[in-house]
Amino acid sequence: MAATSVHKFAQCISCHAWSPDLSMIAFCPNNSEVHIYKLSEDKWEKVHVLQKHDQIVSGIDWSYRSNKIVTVSHDRNSYVWNQEATGWVPTLVILRLNRAALCVQWSPKENKFAVGSGAKTVCICYYEQENNWWVSKLIRKRHDSSVTSIAWHPNNVLLATTSTDGKCRVFSTFIKGVDAKDSAMGNSADTKFGEQIVQLDLCFCWAFGVRWSPSGNTLAYVGHNSMIYFVDEVGPSAAAQSVAIRDLPLRDVLFLSERMVVGVGFDCNPMVFVADESGLWSFLRFLDERKSASSSAKYGSQFSEAFGKFYGQSKFSASNNVEQSRGAHDNCINCILPLAKQRKSSVTRFTTSGLDGKIVTWDLQKQEDLLDYL
Amino acid sequence: MAEIVEADNYEGIITRIEHKSRKIESLLKQYKPVEALKTALEGSPPKTKDERCKSANWIVVHRAIMAIKDVDSLFSALDPEYYDILMKYLYRGLSTGDRPTCDQCLRIHEKLTEKAGLGCILRCLADTLNTV
Repeated sequence: MAATSVHKFAQCISCHAWSPDLSMIAFCPNNSEVHIYKLSEDKWEKVHVLQKHDQIVSGIDWSYRSNKIVTVSHDRNSYVWNQEATGWVPTLVILRLNRAALCVQWSPKENKFAVGSGAKTVCICYYEQENNWWVSKLIRKRHDSSVTSIAWHPNNVLLATTSTDGKCRVFSTFIKGVDAKDSAMGNSADTKFGEQIVQLDLCFCWAFGVRWSPSGNTLAYVGHNSMIYFVDEVGPSAAAQSVAIRDLPLRDVLFLSERMVVGVGFDCNPMVFVADESGLWSFLRFLDERKSASSSAKYGSQFSEAFGKFYGQSKFSASNNVEQSRGAHDNCINCILPLAKQRKSSVTRFTTSGLDGKIVTWDLQKQEDLLDYL
Repeated sequence: MAEIVEADNYEGIITRIEHKSRKIESLLKQYKPVEALKTALEGSPPKTKDERCKSANWIVVHRAIMAIKDVDSLFSALDPEYYDILMKYLYRGLSTGDRPTCDQCLRIHEKLTEKAGLGCILRCLADTLNTV
């Protein structure tokens, strides 16, 4: 099995994050709290509960180097948590939003973090040393709807967003005094804060889950229409590919390498997408074994069940009693994270969490057909 | 994709649909229902917001859908690129509530779902811009 461990922590998990040394996990059990568990002698123990938010925590990110946790919530606030002798100490970050915050991510250099919100805005927050205060700068009037997902480019300046207006956009988040001009940014060094680099108009419905490839050359995002989009050379001459999926839509994606992407979503089973030598992306297979053989049979039986109900006949009901073999997840997966101690060009282990309250660890070491793409 | 053409193109679109309709009739006379359906689905939905054009195109597609007798042989001859657009027209057919149309659309819908999966249905339901 590709799933190496399955642990049910709660009824439902809205998001999760790993500590830098991978010994602790922070997640929100679909309420206003963040629970931190530690693995000791093969058993997960609850070590901290972060209580400060008033509503569901919608995003958590734990920084690799500075060991800070940032949380955002539907209560429109954000906290940066610092570990001190007495426990985790929160610092309020005023986001100046009038709608829920939906997602959060530290920038690669961890001197900024970005928050997507239901107020059609993205907040870029950075620390002001002289005031001992996190400041929020807003990118306004660009999105026509809620910002569902954000992703930092490795150069620490470009930020990709997806929105329920169906667009994927890339912005510059260059902040004077925070970002140095000479960092490896190429052309984006000249752009002002909040300037839109490109708007991708491929999807005609909600867009979710955007990620950059480890090098930042490729961008992937998913739509609620069971499509996944890959964009190379993001800029004026962007080359886009769309891949239609046979099954239910995806919610989040993760690049395992430049040539392999895992998508998770309503199908409860991670999907692997790979690029061939010419850079053409296609669906390879499901990661969890249960489905690969039976997917078409399953739809057939679901459909005949429905027909059985229509006609009140018994001849279709033969397959009703056959129990589906259960996979690692049995509800929508909405979060996928790499399991690595630093940012790397390829990862073989990652974790997923979803509405079934489980956190599943996946390992590709034994999946020989996939190792070629790493 | 989906460039919305100005309203004065209405005449042009209708002429094209009429031309398509004549071609379909002749294909049906030669007992080529699958070719007729392919012709009907080509250039669909019309790139316009004008409901009259959409209705005119639907009448043509409906004619081709109703002429399909053998659903299995339809899918051995129909290329996957037509699946998404065919699904949209099946849902339009089901929304009419007309008994023979619904029967026919349900028969094709069952096979199409087996072939193209639930993703095809999602693409049809989620697209609010290129409606048929």
